[in-house]
Amino acid sequence: MNFGELFWAVQILAAFGLLVSAIAAVRFKNLVAAVIAMAVFSLILSLEFYILQAPDVAIAEAGVGACLTTAMYLLAIKNTTDEEVIE
Amino acid sequence: MTVDAMFMWALALLLFSAMLTLIRLLVGPTIPDRAVALDSMTTTTAGAMVLYGVITRQAIFIDVALVYAILSYIATLYIARYLVKKRVGLA
Repeated sequence: MNFGELFWAVQILAAFGLLVSAIAAVRFKNLVAAVIAMAVFSLILSLEFYILQAPDVAIAEAGVGACLTTAMYLLAIKNTTDEEVIE
Repeated sequence: MTVDAMFMWALALLLFSAMLTLIRLLVGPTIPDRAVALDSMTTTTAGAMVLYGVITRQAIFIDVALVYAILSYIATLYIARYLVKKRVGLA
């Protein structure tokens, strides 16, 4: 396996993971599960920036996406109800 | 097979196993299943990032894996603390 084949294999796996985790984050009914799916989306997006030779952007995405977004959404969910309200 | 080719196969297999934990995230019936899936996926991807830094021989790429491991630990602590206080996902 040379570097080009590895690059395209990682690109395909990251695109698949991004698509699946984004659809899961939209369609989960439990809000905590949706927050966890969004953390996975942020993780794979950070990996994608990393593969595209931008490690500083990947560090910023890791700090914002992994820690701050998860913590702030959980603080927001704690002050509301857990399940999504369906009319 | 050279050492770089073996590192590349290890990186591809690590990412494939990360995609396998994505299945547990999708079908996991309770919230703790999904939290553990997120944690194991973060650990696997941090190992893949270290391997990618070894393959491309750039030492700054290791720092991203360190930062992500520490921050995902904090995020997992937040999720666990929320689950203990609100008691969701246990039924």
